[in-house]
Amino acid sequence: MIVLGSNSEVAQAFVEECLAQGEKFPTIYLLSSNPETTEKFAGHLQVKFLQNSEIIPLDLMKEIDYKALENINSDLLFCASGYLGLGTEEGLYDDENTTQIIDVNYAKLVPVLNFFAKKMESKRSGTMIVLSSVAGERGRQSNFIYGSAKAGLTAYLSGLRNYLFDKKVHVLTVKPGFMETKMTEGLPLNPALTATPKKAAAGIYKAYKNKKDVAYVLPIWAIIMMIIRNIPEFIFKKLKL
Amino acid sequence: MKPNFVQKVTNWGNFPIVEKEMKSDDSVSKIKQFVRDNNEVIARGNGRCYGDASLGEHIFSTKRLNKFISFDRLNGIIECESGVLLSEVLEVTVPQGYFLYVTPGTKFVSVGGAIASDVHGKNHHAEGCFSEYVTEFKLLNENSEVITCSREENTDKFWATIGGMGLTGIILSAKFKLKNIESAYIRQESIKAENLDEVFKLFDESEDWTYNVAWIDCFQKGKNLGRSILMRGEHALKAELPSNLQKKSLKLKEKFKPTVPFYFPGFVLNALTIKIFNFLYYNKQTKKQLNNFIDYETFFYPLDVINDWNKIYGKSGFIQYQMVIPKENGKEGMRQILDAIAKSGNGSFLAVLKLFGKDNPLAYNSFPKEGYTLALDFKVNKGLKKLVEQLDTIVENFGGRIYLTKDSMSKSSLTNYLQNVDSSKFVSLQHKRILSGGN
Repeated sequence: MIVLGSNSEVAQAFVEECLAQGEKFPTIYLLSSNPETTEKFAGHLQVKFLQNSEIIPLDLMKEIDYKALENINSDLLFCASGYLGLGTEEGLYDDENTTQIIDVNYAKLVPVLNFFAKKMESKRSGTMIVLSSVAGERGRQSNFIYGSAKAGLTAYLSGLRNYLFDKKVHVLTVKPGFMETKMTEGLPLNPALTATPKKAAAGIYKAYKNKKDVAYVLPIWAIIMMIIRNIPEFIFKKLKL
Repeated sequence: MKPNFVQKVTNWGNFPIVEKEMKSDDSVSKIKQFVRDNNEVIARGNGRCYGDASLGEHIFSTKRLNKFISFDRLNGIIECESGVLLSEVLEVTVPQGYFLYVTPGTKFVSVGGAIASDVHGKNHHAEGCFSEYVTEFKLLNENSEVITCSREENTDKFWATIGGMGLTGIILSAKFKLKNIESAYIRQESIKAENLDEVFKLFDESEDWTYNVAWIDCFQKGKNLGRSILMRGEHALKAELPSNLQKKSLKLKEKFKPTVPFYFPGFVLNALTIKIFNFLYYNKQTKKQLNNFIDYETFFYPLDVINDWNKIYGKSGFIQYQMVIPKENGKEGMRQILDAIAKSGNGSFLAVLKLFGKDNPLAYNSFPKEGYTLALDFKVNKGLKKLVEQLDTIVENFGGRIYLTKDSMSKSSLTNYLQNVDSSKFVSLQHKRILSGGN
């Protein structure tokens, strides 16, 4: 398995879910912008599942060294790379913040995903599971730079799925709503709308096994987003979302 | 949205409930920062202690310190971060033929919590407390330094932290020994005892068994006082297992675990329903003695099979009252305690009696002392305070003490036994309550 964004709690929970379900991987490639932190997880996998893994530095905010990715091959890719950055109020006119959000969530991520998509296409097998976001479904005033990058990612994934369909490669877009992670710690999230990484991972695993194209982590989000998508723009623009 | 870390926090007894700051992280530098920035910090594992021991002004939750570090499969020594649960340890080690030397009655406690409480099990008389098998741990102390504590290094801190209820710092990771097992099953004998004298006699006769515990029906009075079932067990050898269990002797089948969906209304658990439960439980076993093989989960963790069982006690919560009374006065002490409970009508859903063996004098903050220990659940209600006062007086008269991990309202003279833990940095609500003499 190839993991992009290996320090994400959801990514780690997904890896554990796969192994707990009895999936076997010769090596798990842990791609990470912070390899030191990832080492702890690699050790954990070795102790808990006797699972070998290899840590490969990959920082989407820097130049990508594609040579280092050359020998990585697997039928399963899980991508949790993402960067929330600052919201509109603090960060809209901060160029560095804006660029980083666009780079990590879309501009620099897409070529990396393409790189692995090409490998799967040539082997005519594989699954790419990529976390996008419900924020990408409609631009809201609170964090629309992030939302727009995720919207781009969602559109890319939908096109990629279409392109790879007859090449036997499956693309699963995951749109998590709120998750109980370090990123959201301390925010007043409604428990009914919030998934733990473990629960999210179990849901994503099920969607992967059922060959779903698009999955929300909690089904309630499909309903919420349907409503949000369908609010007429002349009303939506007046809302404080 | 700006983060606000103040939230409602409560432990397993759902009493008390407080609104305090709680944060969690897995990065040592961030944890150090948290300790530097705040006074009155306390670590909290999985919140499975019953009272206010892991509650404080600034709570550091170890839930993100959840990684294994190493496992020496040859010598059975495992190292993990402090937020790893004993259940997770068992998941990894049982299929490899290793079990925890000492386990409490739930496997959902964290390793850090097991050290801070120096937990004991049904084998205290034979194998002591959890700390006997801890070889070292890493502690974040009040100067925000990470120190390694063992029997050779930082010995003072090592022994002060064991049973020290988190008041010496935050345990980050720990290394401990495991015991070899041939199977995931226990050879069990359950024997019915008609009264206290009989169960005490059974305890004496069972001294050679590794695991001993008795469940007591605490509604009985007079000649039936102390009516109980004693359960004793040994890890089953592979060869002695029935053939259907031998094939996969180290693997248990996944079981369905029901979840208590909501807090039960207050009236569900009352004297009558507990009486009925106790009657059924005692009479479920029709024979005087029953010998069988049961899986380790059923033997050690009978309550873990129901998720969120604490909700059965309703929203007002419950307390667990566990005391130890030194051996010489133990029998008389137990008699008076059971008598007081039976008279009060405040029945306990679960009353568990054990015999502690000799304590380790080095682990001076550990709760167990040689003698009899009884653990009781009581629903929080108006009359409870009075009962606790009564029980406290009996325990005090017989020179006993209360288990801090479960305490939330006992007398400070019974709970103020920790040494060498005073720190301005690490303080729990329980410690403050005890020091102020309040209860």
